[in-house]
Amino acid sequence: MRGAATRRAAVCVAACLLAFSASAEDDARAWIERMSESLATRNYDGLFTHSTGRQAETMRIVHRVDEGKSFERLVSLDGSGREIVRTREEVHAYLPDRRVVIVEPRGDDGSLLKSLPTPGPALDRNYQLVVGPKGSRLLGREVRVIDVRPRDIYRYGYRLWLDEDTAMPLQSIVTNGIGNPIEIIRFTQLQMKDRIPAHDIEPTVDATGFQWIRTGRKLAAMPQLPRNGGWRPMRLPPGFRLVTSRLQPIPGSPMPAQHLIFSDGIAAISVFIEPGAQTGPRPPETSSMGSANAYSTSVHGHVVTAIGEVPAATVREIANSVAPVQGSAVPADFPAGSAR
Amino acid sequence: MTDQIREQLSALLDGELPRDEMGLLMRRLDKDPELRRAFGSYALIGEALRAPGGRIAAPSFAARVSAAIGDAPAIAEKTSTARPAAAVPLQQQAALWKRPIVRTALAAGAAVTAVLLFRPDGTPVAQREVTPANSFAMSASPTPAQTQRLAGYLVAHSQFSTPMVRRNVLSSLLAADPGITRVSHEMGEAP
Repeated sequence: MRGAATRRAAVCVAACLLAFSASAEDDARAWIERMSESLATRNYDGLFTHSTGRQAETMRIVHRVDEGKSFERLVSLDGSGREIVRTREEVHAYLPDRRVVIVEPRGDDGSLLKSLPTPGPALDRNYQLVVGPKGSRLLGREVRVIDVRPRDIYRYGYRLWLDEDTAMPLQSIVTNGIGNPIEIIRFTQLQMKDRIPAHDIEPTVDATGFQWIRTGRKLAAMPQLPRNGGWRPMRLPPGFRLVTSRLQPIPGSPMPAQHLIFSDGIAAISVFIEPGAQTGPRPPETSSMGSANAYSTSVHGHVVTAIGEVPAATVREIANSVAPVQGSAVPADFPAGSAR
Repeated sequence: MTDQIREQLSALLDGELPRDEMGLLMRRLDKDPELRRAFGSYALIGEALRAPGGRIAAPSFAARVSAAIGDAPAIAEKTSTARPAAAVPLQQQAALWKRPIVRTALAAGAAVTAVLLFRPDGTPVAQREVTPANSFAMSASPTPAQTQRLAGYLVAHSQFSTPMVRRNVLSSLLAADPGITRVSHEMGEAP
């Protein structure tokens, strides 16, 4: 009798714990959704420092919403003068140190609705979501600390300091698999505004004489996928799913690259497959840009590049598994512990 | 650059600039590259003082901060007897986070140099290298063509990131010296 009562109590406690855990995860997901919505739909003007293990930069971000479309200017205040402007139709990346402007059509077509992320209920399969207690302060504001902890080694973690009122991230830290910070963004000023004038979004770089490189075109103007059906990675980390695919023109090449986009609700990974250079296969290359990593390699006479805000081992595994599609359109998950 | 502007920049970074002064300063920053450079260097001073364990160690970092300090000679001369930070007890370092750090640092002049060159554990910041999370067989600087190609890919990729991650990714692209920090050529054939 006593044993049955004990079991019932244990079941009750376990159910309560599960319910509490689910509620906490839901709460964290709600905070993340609020943050994404604020970042995409509010008017704001802020200064922040972007720090990695090797360098720190000061940047300004101006985000403007007008008639349901978002516009943005992100500029380095720290000497390089680089600037990225999201216009109504395109993204312009001004690189004055290279005398180059990279032009890319907006994937979301400027629509706020389409630009909103979809963390989804499966998010907690890949991340443990934890909401901190009330009472923390940053920049003179009350903030809530949200921990997004990866459940495996294929993705990064995030610690977010979100403003209690607006859910804007006043500070965010990207952490690697053992919890060490690899990228920190810390606002020193952030103004939420009712209105931001259009001229605040205009670039300040004088691009006279710069080379304008259009790396993409509108999808409707693109040629169709080649008849051989394209390529896919044969192995993907758990939770990553194909979001979309498109063709990406390559400057100076008559053939476009195939661009596949995968997401786990937080992190995204792009895979580009482009026809190989006539000079033969190239040695594999690994590149690192803040928390983003890229890996390029040669596969069947094509250059495959995987890039994303995930560990270097993850993009390497994915790029090395890319192959022409032959019947199997559903990639397998990474085998446990396969990432190096 | 006048003392008033310098004071405004540091107050801005400390989050203490009155709102009514912010708009004008932002417009000046937009129009004046020299002011932007100075501002960036001031921000680096603040980051250096806040950063734990010599996290910031770019090759040009010390030079840029030295340039920033050199930009404020009058202030530095006034306070040249300030105590070097190397002698500051660790428990007092925590207090740095709560002070108007950039203004304090700029006002300290020579002391800032000590903070930057020697952290409390005595390690020279400019020579302290952070071990990358992943290391590879060989490393080399990226060629302009590699940088351009990856920059294009990064911009295309960012279109499909969540708003927060997109900001992180594009911030990495904006980062200078160099935007792409490591390119490795692994030995052996591709699988």
